[in-house]
Amino acid sequence: MKIIILGAGQVGANLAESLVAENNDITVIDLDAARLVLLQDRFDLRTVRGHAAHPSVLKQAGAEDADMLVAVTQSDETNLVACRIASTLFNVPTRIARIRSNDFLGLEPGFLAEQFGVDDVISPEQEVTDTLRRLIEHPEALQVLDFAGGKVRLIAVRSYHGGPLVGHELQEIKRHMPDLECRIPAIYRRDHGIVPKGITVIEPGDEVFFLARKQDIPSVMRELRRMERRVKKVMIAGGGNIGRRLAAQIERDYDVKVIDHNKKVSNLLAEQLHHTLVLQGDATDEELLEQENIASMDVFCALTNDDEDNIMSALLAKRMGAHRVIALINRSAYVDLVQGGEIDIAISPAQATVGPLLSKIRRGDMVAVHSLRRGAAEVLEVVVHGDAKTSRVVGRRIEEIDLPDGATIAAIIRNNDVIIAHHDTLIEAEDHLIVFALNKRIIPKVEKLLQVGFGFF
Amino acid sequence: MNLIAPLITLDTTLLDISFTSKKKLFEHAADLFAQTRGLKASDIFTSLFERERLGSTALGHGIAIPHGRIKGLKEACGAFYRLKSPLEFDAPDSQPVTLCFILLVPKDANERHLQILGELAQLFGDETMRTQMLDAATPSDLMGRLESWSS
Repeated sequence: MKIIILGAGQVGANLAESLVAENNDITVIDLDAARLVLLQDRFDLRTVRGHAAHPSVLKQAGAEDADMLVAVTQSDETNLVACRIASTLFNVPTRIARIRSNDFLGLEPGFLAEQFGVDDVISPEQEVTDTLRRLIEHPEALQVLDFAGGKVRLIAVRSYHGGPLVGHELQEIKRHMPDLECRIPAIYRRDHGIVPKGITVIEPGDEVFFLARKQDIPSVMRELRRMERRVKKVMIAGGGNIGRRLAAQIERDYDVKVIDHNKKVSNLLAEQLHHTLVLQGDATDEELLEQENIASMDVFCALTNDDEDNIMSALLAKRMGAHRVIALINRSAYVDLVQGGEIDIAISPAQATVGPLLSKIRRGDMVAVHSLRRGAAEVLEVVVHGDAKTSRVVGRRIEEIDLPDGATIAAIIRNNDVIIAHHDTLIEAEDHLIVFALNKRIIPKVEKLLQVGFGFF
Repeated sequence: MNLIAPLITLDTTLLDISFTSKKKLFEHAADLFAQTRGLKASDIFTSLFERERLGSTALGHGIAIPHGRIKGLKEACGAFYRLKSPLEFDAPDSQPVTLCFILLVPKDANERHLQILGELAQLFGDETMRTQMLDAATPSDLMGRLESWSS
């Protein structure tokens, strides 16, 4: 596909990297020549320097021939105007815009589509906030993903020495909880992916992915790990876009404190958030953390817009006794460095955004794409159409489907019901399949398999 | 008589025409059908694109048969394109497309439309026929060859 990406920032660059790898024809527009040179050095793509919303620039980038426009510049206004121009002047079939401001996000649905030609809106801040909220709900998880609007969850946990998971065959675990349906579609051992079988034995340090109905997650988790204490106290460093959203979403369920160094921001937050304690100060200040009893915090989230500050305050909080610490990190290189060390979880807004964007860009009827392990693996929610003739999936039992090695169908959502997949489950048209792909290499094959055949109308 | 020949006319048989992208081809087809059938060009364009997103309609051997359901269309109709410069279509054999038959059917596609699609696949799968279509000198020559084909 011919795709134009507006903005060569973290989100744009990450997206370009994924799409180039999938054999697309990519053009990136940005005002900053240095950023473009950097991209062009690393990837096989075209770049155009100029204002992303200007018709002449879009034309130069090939808008007349483009299948899709993805506007992910820092500016909502630029993204909106670019979508409108792409729609009216160039008839680009699909237009996606990144929007950060609640002023726009709060408009009634359909407004941006009708007035600005935006087919889909993506909000990295919203994606990150949702991710954080789920991690706070399941503090023992490394990752929590929602499917089918939250009916099914996929959770990654790390096994540890002496834990209930370790040293047992998976089939034993199943015998342990006969009433709970749960699937383990993948295990990563020392960064190597394994499709588990009944006789697979879990080792300490394994990253185990399991999937279950949302209501079953706590019981499954109890079987798999020693129950961790329930989260009560959450401290957030940074009251910016993400910190504020998160506090607003969780302040009724948890005891929340927000620290921001800016006086104006703190005052504003205190006005907006009625159940949150807002403190003005520096989150890397030991004394302040001590004073606010950091050791009693169940979760500490460092969410300022400064990577170094976030790393520092998260490290400090951990050292001073916070139970679990999460740091927001924009630079991809830092994410790899930090995660798995003293900081429990590093979240990159760019990486959190790539999945939702891919779901709109890929061929096939994808509801959701989640990028795992920094893009090395993926979980897809895909709707299958057609019949036994026009689809290679519909009308077949799972064991009859020609899945590439490393791909697993973990669950099916049919008419809002969740079916945990078994080898003899029959796939029907319009089913949503949740497919785990252990590594990126097999994704094109999985995608092809799930697409409708030629004969589908 | 086969099911294919009646779908196209001299107006909708275009030989050695050039497009810079699949999008341009679909835009051309949408305008063409809008004129000849009195349909809304944007409906046709969207329908073809959406179908293509669910899975490529390229068959390999340089053939593609994009198709879509169109609201307000009374009976199936088609357009034949022989492309001067082959277009990328994400084909199973990764070959770019030279021969393209665009098929539109009414919103409620039925058994007969599936038959048409099946016959199209058969016709374009026939190697002799493919050579003939590549060799045809004029639109009427090509239509003649289509008419004399039988499954």
